[in-house]
Amino acid sequence: MMKVVKGKKKASVLLALTLAGTMLISACGSNNETGNKATGGEATSGKPVTLKVEVFDRGNSPSGSTITNNYLTNYVQDNFGKPNNIDVQFVPIPRSEEVQKLNVLMASGSDVPDIVFTYDSGTFYRYAQQGGLTDLGELLDQHGPNLKKFLGEDTLAYGNYQGQQFALPAKRAHLGKYSSFVRQDWLDKLGLPVPQTTDELYTTLKAFKEKDPGQTGGKVIPLGMALASAQYEPLLWSFIQPVTEEQRYTLTQQLGSNDFPILLPGFKDGLQFMNKLYNEGLMSKDFSLDEDKKKLNEDAAKGLVGFFSEDDMNPFYPDGLYSTLQANIPDAKLSSVDVYTDSEGKHPKPEYAPVGLYLMVPKSSKNAVEAIKYLDWMASENNLLNMQNGVEGENYTLQDGIPVAKADAPDDVKNRVYNWGDMAIISNGKQLGDTDRNVEAYVLGMPEQFQEETRNALTISRSDTIKPVLFDHPIEAQAKYGSALRDKFNEIVVKATMVKPDQFESTFESIMKDYMANGGQAILDERTKAYEAMK
Amino acid sequence: MNTRVYLRRYWQLYMLLILPVAYFLVFKYGPMYGIIIAFKDFNFFQGINGSEWIGLDAFKEVFAMSDFYKTLRNTLMLNFLDLLFSFPAPLFLAIMLYELKTVWFKKISQTILYIPHFISWVIIGGIVYQVFGTQSGMINNFVTSLGFEAIPFLTDKNDWLITYLIVGVWQSAGWGTIIYLAALTGINRELFEAADVDGAGRLRKIWSITLPSLKPTIVTLLIINVGNMIAIGFERPYIIGNTAVRDYSDVLSTFVYRIGIESGQYTLATVVGLFQAVVGLVFVLGANYLSKKLADQSII
Repeated sequence: MMKVVKGKKKASVLLALTLAGTMLISACGSNNETGNKATGGEATSGKPVTLKVEVFDRGNSPSGSTITNNYLTNYVQDNFGKPNNIDVQFVPIPRSEEVQKLNVLMASGSDVPDIVFTYDSGTFYRYAQQGGLTDLGELLDQHGPNLKKFLGEDTLAYGNYQGQQFALPAKRAHLGKYSSFVRQDWLDKLGLPVPQTTDELYTTLKAFKEKDPGQTGGKVIPLGMALASAQYEPLLWSFIQPVTEEQRYTLTQQLGSNDFPILLPGFKDGLQFMNKLYNEGLMSKDFSLDEDKKKLNEDAAKGLVGFFSEDDMNPFYPDGLYSTLQANIPDAKLSSVDVYTDSEGKHPKPEYAPVGLYLMVPKSSKNAVEAIKYLDWMASENNLLNMQNGVEGENYTLQDGIPVAKADAPDDVKNRVYNWGDMAIISNGKQLGDTDRNVEAYVLGMPEQFQEETRNALTISRSDTIKPVLFDHPIEAQAKYGSALRDKFNEIVVKATMVKPDQFESTFESIMKDYMANGGQAILDERTKAYEAMK
Repeated sequence: MNTRVYLRRYWQLYMLLILPVAYFLVFKYGPMYGIIIAFKDFNFFQGINGSEWIGLDAFKEVFAMSDFYKTLRNTLMLNFLDLLFSFPAPLFLAIMLYELKTVWFKKISQTILYIPHFISWVIIGGIVYQVFGTQSGMINNFVTSLGFEAIPFLTDKNDWLITYLIVGVWQSAGWGTIIYLAALTGINRELFEAADVDGAGRLRKIWSITLPSLKPTIVTLLIINVGNMIAIGFERPYIIGNTAVRDYSDVLSTFVYRIGIESGQYTLATVVGLFQAVVGLVFVLGANYLSKKLADQSII
């Protein structure tokens, strides 16, 4: 008998605990709700509409604020929600698993936010193809004049799926991708000029290896390489020969969000050059293991790398590659250079599509109008500027119309806009009217001593660029095989580069055959057909 | 004893069973419903029921993919090599530990051997790159300082196989000893004493007493391992593998990840999963049947 009583007691304690727990949790929830309702209800009468908006959670909210309750969410609620009697709620999604989590939300149907987004064009196409999205074309005309003007035709075209506006892509502020960098102090030490062409680069790399100007004790890596687009794309694209429009449309292969030159004339020559550099010991030996560029960054920061290509601004961030390099080797100097040259003497390199996030409204959403109104509000007046930069005079000052963050602002003021990139979803980067000013905003955001080189790098990354090829409808084979072929492309680069020179031909043959058989041919066929239909 | 009396006496035991049975129903049998995705053109927004039936089209598509056969071959190859090298390792280790007479040394060794099992593969991957890297790996730093050519442990596919096996043994062998050690504690000590009296040496005792007593355990584990021939963990090949050795490191689980999670082709991924399950079942039953015939040991 005693035992039973004891058990009951335990059970009731447990029950009470769980109850208390759920009550606590629900209490928190309802607290928020009433709080929001109170603010929303004051402005206009009637029950406010709840608009749910996805937000990336990077787990970096400063103390005192959360991802769903911070300066920017309040800014949105006060300036957009209250006046329109809309209660804007933010639904956090962990950045690292955005697509998986979004898939689950979309499949659930009922619980999905009214505005969702992804960087992955394949995911967008899949949703559109399976009929899960709202056509926003008419709504945009009716409720989003400012937004339509802000995004512009070029950008909106990327959200068009077979004549229907299933996504509103965010507008990208700066389309440049890559620049190259050389150790100026090594060149000076050896009395060498800055290399201007691919041939001169080869001579320079040889000199770096033989004379080891950095006194690395034989550890010198003349050309820093990684298995990442920023490192091999500038090299490979510069070997592509001039092509006709038809070739550009049919022979390019888009895998994921990037265009790949795999079938374009000259691709093989590019690989052969990489093969030569690798086999002569001029390139990072373990580049095939370095998909996240960590090793390259580490080697470059240690002062072992003579020349490398990177995303244009990457080396210059505070505590980034360049500042670590200078901390290790005080007289090290990096110059931004544009070296890889094609047969016409140009320095071609790909540029970004003019889009960022793909913003979508799920078909199950009942608040598509409010969703467009919200995005339109963001595009009008100074709202975007305020969301991206905070309060003038407190967070930033204007220099020639370019907002410059105040370095001496107290932390709690700085923290106001800690996730502006994730909240100001209609734009990728700061929008100040034209590209030059957008770029200058990036420059002024860098540490002062690096601003000049940053400006150079951003100029290089914008010159002689190759625009991505856009069809009027998505190529289905690309959606299907894209990510598998993306891996295969890396395999091609790795194998063709690392094989002994006398086996290059046969290796290249066999991996290309494998590539074509696993979807490459299907993409080629479909693109050829699509091009003919477009003419 | 009639049923009512029996139930009245033992109902608590049946109650205890409810939770585990519910667990299997909810988490192991329930999801099997999803298998029908393999026969449907799965559409996200229409759900499993709303999607259209496509018969065996998805199977035909998978069996026409060259990558499917490559990953199937690699899965079998890696598992077979594992069976050859990683399977006996814990057995040897367990016997060695059993032979140790110093208690504190034995305990310390066991703890050290177990640790790798608790390290996440992601971290092991990091360690592997630090140790086996060509340009700045620990081993190759030593090799090149002696004036030899660096060994591409991670980027040459044959060398990579060795790395893969070594890392696997290092990670799992210690943990694998637990089952053997448990079985070893069941051996009657008198057998050893009798053997001592008969003048048997250490090796003789291991061969004639220890190993025979471990036979049922070995056979059970062997059957389970053979049953898993077609299944392969995702982390080890995915993390230890890299682009340069894709010819060997690409296995069914990474293949499913690529077409299912990355490309969103759930139907094809389900087909591969179902294929693995069916072949796995055949392997288990086959191994069980053989061992019943040959060694008179079986688990079913």
